[in-house]
Amino acid sequence: MVKEVERAGIPVVHICTVVPISLTVGANRIVPAIAIPHPLGDPKLDPKDEKALRRKLVEKALEALCTEVDGQTVFDK
Amino acid sequence: MRLELGYVLINDVQFGEVTKIEKGVLFVNKSELINLIKEDEHLKSVDVEIARPGESVRITPVKDVIEPRVKLEGEGGIFPGVLSKVQTVGSGKTNVLKGCAVVTTGKIVGFQEGIIDMTGPGADYTPFSKLNNVVLVCEPIDGLKQHDHERAIRFAGLKATQYLAEAAIDIEADTVEVYETLPLLQGINAYPDLPKVAYVLMLQSQGLMHDTYVYGVDAKQIVPTVLYPTELMDGAIISGNCVSACDKNTTYHHLNNPVIHDLFKQHGKEINFVGVIITNENVYLADKERSSDWAAKIAEFMGLDGVIVSQEGFGNPDTDLIMNCKKIEAKGIKTVIITDEYAGRDGASQSLADADKAADAVVTGGNANEVIVLPPMDKVIGTLDYSDIIAGGFDGSLSKDGTITVEIQAITGATNEMGFNKMSVTGF
Repeated sequence: MVKEVERAGIPVVHICTVVPISLTVGANRIVPAIAIPHPLGDPKLDPKDEKALRRKLVEKALEALCTEVDGQTVFDK
Repeated sequence: MRLELGYVLINDVQFGEVTKIEKGVLFVNKSELINLIKEDEHLKSVDVEIARPGESVRITPVKDVIEPRVKLEGEGGIFPGVLSKVQTVGSGKTNVLKGCAVVTTGKIVGFQEGIIDMTGPGADYTPFSKLNNVVLVCEPIDGLKQHDHERAIRFAGLKATQYLAEAAIDIEADTVEVYETLPLLQGINAYPDLPKVAYVLMLQSQGLMHDTYVYGVDAKQIVPTVLYPTELMDGAIISGNCVSACDKNTTYHHLNNPVIHDLFKQHGKEINFVGVIITNENVYLADKERSSDWAAKIAEFMGLDGVIVSQEGFGNPDTDLIMNCKKIEAKGIKTVIITDEYAGRDGASQSLADADKAADAVVTGGNANEVIVLPPMDKVIGTLDYSDIIAGGFDGSLSKDGTITVEIQAITGATNEMGFNKMSVTGF
């Protein structure tokens, strides 16, 4: 999916827990997610903290989308 | 560490007045066994059935298969940290009831348990069709949570094998095999000219009832460590898995790990088999990185020349497999990996979710997506209610006459990634 959408000329950010697989399939902008059973949240946190975590992930992904990349890049800082 | 395994050959299982072994027949006092399992307050009803090789019997949904073993000499007891005290096992003498097993059934997750056919085309795909099986059919009390249900069934199986195995305490074994592994430095010095080889055993530990236990510890919480191979033969590792049936390692697989047995066969001849490194398959990337780093670090620390890596399950554990392979190869240690494939029903899709050039020696247990037609059996132990939704099944899998059309994924042990099956492929 990531590759097909990019082929159509639209940049894609892949939010993904298993970064090595994302690298193998060829995503260009990769944002590491939390865990495989819950990529975009963490049930161990209370709702307020979890919302903050989710917002941070989305913001990081949007930032990645607006960043020029030269080949595969993992946004893990 | 030296272990003598005494194989007490079991040719038949029958119900009888007293639980005992006589001339290769295991007699089971059914009510005594049922009462023992029913001591668990989480179980509403318990029944015991027998399924023999060649009988027209289908067992489903299968959770675990366990071989009865009993410790005669040496420290600790079978299933340490779970049924026995948490002492280090793997030395002394152990009797094995060879030719029979305890099979647990239950609709715990429903879609993640397997099928064992005792005859017909499906029987060829599972090693457990060749055993005399004592099958536990347990119903949980109303409202029992899945995790508690899984635990209750896990313990029911272990307790039943312990009960049956005690019948072999005073029985003289038909054959005896001796397995010995020396402490690392002595072991290396024993065969200085042979390549030093270890086995990297990956344990399913994704959570949500995809769990394995090491001396009673949930494998999610371990960091890679080293075991003597004989520790596994005494039940140091048990399965708590509700995952796809074809490539989960049942407790029977851990007790009879064919990689370990084959490495012992070549030990002192072609290779020097120095030990087992266990590692896990967790769902956080940091855990995957840490565990594969440590597996490689331990392999380097042991001074290995080669390793065999076996996987359990599929999907994201493919990444753990490839990370182990890549990082161990990067230390200058040769690797062979054992996996299976999800290459689509026509076999045309990519087999693994991850890949790397370092993985240039691969053994496969077969393509789990291959479709098979399982004709109806005269008797079903368990229930067919889940045939349409079992992993490998699809809407319409179950026909009215009891025929099941499924991917071999649904058959317990069909594409086992320790190689405890018949399928493989040769490629160049």
